[in-house]
Amino acid sequence: MNNQSGPSIQRPFSPVRFVRNLAVAILAVVVYVYGWQVTEINLQTLVQGVGDIRPLVEDLLNPQVFERDKQVVRLRVPFPIPCPPDYVPQPATYKGARMDIEPACGEAEEVVVTLRNGRPNTLARVRWGFPIGTDQIVTQAATDDQGNLRVRFQRPEPALGGLEGEHRVEITMEWEEGPLRISDTLKTVVDKMVETVFLALMATTFGVIFALPVSFLGARNLMTTTLWGTVTYYLVRLVFNILRSVETLIWAVIFVVWVGIGPFAGVMALTVHSIAALAKLYSEAIESIDPGPIEAITATGASRLQTVIYAVIPQVIPPFIAFTIYRWDINVRMSTVVGLVGGGGIGYILIQYINLLQYRQAAVAMWAIVIVVSAMDYLSGYIRERVV
Amino acid sequence: MLEVRQLNKIYPGGIHALKDVTFTVEEGEFLVLIGLSGSGKSTLLRCINRLVEPTSGQVIWNGVDITAASPAELRHIRRQIGMIFQQFNLVKRLPVITNVLTGRLGYVSPWRSLFNYWTPEERRMAMQNLERVGIADQAWKRADELSGGQQQRVAIARALMQNPKLILADEPVASLDPATSHSVMKYILELNRRDGITVICSLHFLSLARQYGTRIIALRDGHIVFDGKPEEIDDRRFKEIYGEDAVEVEIR
Ligand SMILES: Nc1ncnc2c1ncn2[C@@H]1O[C@H](COP(=O)(O)OP(=O)(O)OP(=O)(O)O)[C@@H](O)[C@H]1O
Ligand SMILES: [Mg+2]
Repeated sequence: MNNQSGPSIQRPFSPVRFVRNLAVAILAVVVYVYGWQVTEINLQTLVQGVGDIRPLVEDLLNPQVFERDKQVVRLRVPFPIPCPPDYVPQPATYKGARMDIEPACGEAEEVVVTLRNGRPNTLARVRWGFPIGTDQIVTQAATDDQGNLRVRFQRPEPALGGLEGEHRVEITMEWEEGPLRISDTLKTVVDKMVETVFLALMATTFGVIFALPVSFLGARNLMTTTLWGTVTYYLVRLVFNILRSVETLIWAVIFVVWVGIGPFAGVMALTVHSIAALAKLYSEAIESIDPGPIEAITATGASRLQTVIYAVIPQVIPPFIAFTIYRWDINVRMSTVVGLVGGGGIGYILIQYINLLQYRQAAVAMWAIVIVVSAMDYLSGYIRERVV
Repeated sequence: MLEVRQLNKIYPGGIHALKDVTFTVEEGEFLVLIGLSGSGKSTLLRCINRLVEPTSGQVIWNGVDITAASPAELRHIRRQIGMIFQQFNLVKRLPVITNVLTGRLGYVSPWRSLFNYWTPEERRMAMQNLERVGIADQAWKRADELSGGQQQRVAIARALMQNPKLILADEPVASLDPATSHSVMKYILELNRRDGITVICSLHFLSLARQYGTRIIALRDGHIVFDGKPEEIDDRRFKEIYGEDAVEVEIR
């Protein structure tokens, strides 16, 4: 019986600890069950929805960077119901193409449309127009090698309004022709991308200009030597923290209301957040400098300002540059999204394309963002390596 | 010229680093402070020019109470007191010459400093002081490109820019090898002998203290435990200062 000598290798059982651990475990389960429900997590939709996003993904992989001139040929014949007496069919012609319809009028169940000398091998859409002005696609087919087409279809019934009146039958052929050229979308996107990059540049610059002086007021080691300094230090820190706790997007919403939709609102939003974030980083850089030179220069009888100029600033230049580049990086990223809430730049047109379901155009904007952001990332990494 | 009266320093943590320290320094003395690590040498030196604010007591400098001086008066006093540090405390990224020039800041208007402007007169003076410590050829190097001994010589040149009447040196050679230590100590000694600058210098090694000091003050736990001529320190006194287990080592 030597287990009385020395303490047990097992931690002794404690009921208090057991109850506490159990309570923590139950609380954790409750929190996560509630969280699962409140966020409506539904793995089933995740699987089912895969099919729905395929066209979107396809469009995204096929951005509309280049396009050709679009050609449209439209032929239209009237179709009165009922047939007027002595009605003479009126075939439509356009550049040698001719469209006929049979019967040409009346309450026929079925209608045959023929097209001769159209553009070969081109998709043609047949539309039926009702007297009240609405229309619908009734059929579509491709022309043959000679550019001829003959399709039969059911005459549609109007959903609204009466049957009697002048109906129309219309063939539309659309195709692209001529050399590939840069799409208008790409031109718009490049334009907005330039705006985005400059938005980031202006915001970073303003951020640095304002953050530089206040960062010294927010540095503990410089400020807490006197009472007023200490008070200023805590006030400045408080303001930084409040400004920083509000996200850039929220600032953007505020400034869109303040100065109106456009890049200026974006610049202001990014600037406010940059000032607070940079000032904090700068202050921390100042706080972590070697105090030795400050002591030495203070001991020469230098004033506070002189001490800062000669002992503090030379030491903080490399970290300041590093933090500024880092902020520039973030600002480029953020400037692509402030537009979503009206802050100008590429985000502004991206959200418009998405709302109009123009995914191929949206794809151009998204790819532009990917390219520019990673290019800036690379560039800033390169500069940082060189400078610091 | 310098009178320290009943000086006490209690750090915010509660450490009582100096206890009723009282002594007087005459013009031209080379006073060496010795004592174990933590005995209060650095604290004492920093209380003299108020880099550390004394808790109580007075420091009288040529009749002026430094401890009661206004910020402007304090700067005026500080510029007459050069200081040299164990870690040299140069601004590493600045050129040597600029580091030397900063010794002159107490004499220069802050507005001029804003533009880093120095008169040709000041630049000449800086070069002369660099020549005095034998490193004029390094003037345009970055301070951190120099060896430890060279950096300490830059720090001496910086102190000389102040035209100091007193130099405080806090273990100026503790980061240097023995040979370099002697070369740096010789420069400080020269300032004392040739220019008549009073020196208060803390040192780790008693052998150095004996060699350079005209007078030695020993601190132990913030008290003065010895104040006298170097040759008065015998075995018994040595043990009083450094403790029973210590043995004296010599550095040459
Ligand atoms: N800034 C400070 N805050 C709190 N305590 C301090 C501070 N500086 C020094 N002390 C304490 O005061 C005492 C004296 O320190 P001081 O640096 O003056 O000793 P020293 O003799 O210079 O020692 P060393 O040879 O290690 O440099 C030590 O106990 C130290 O821990
Ligand atoms: Mg010390």
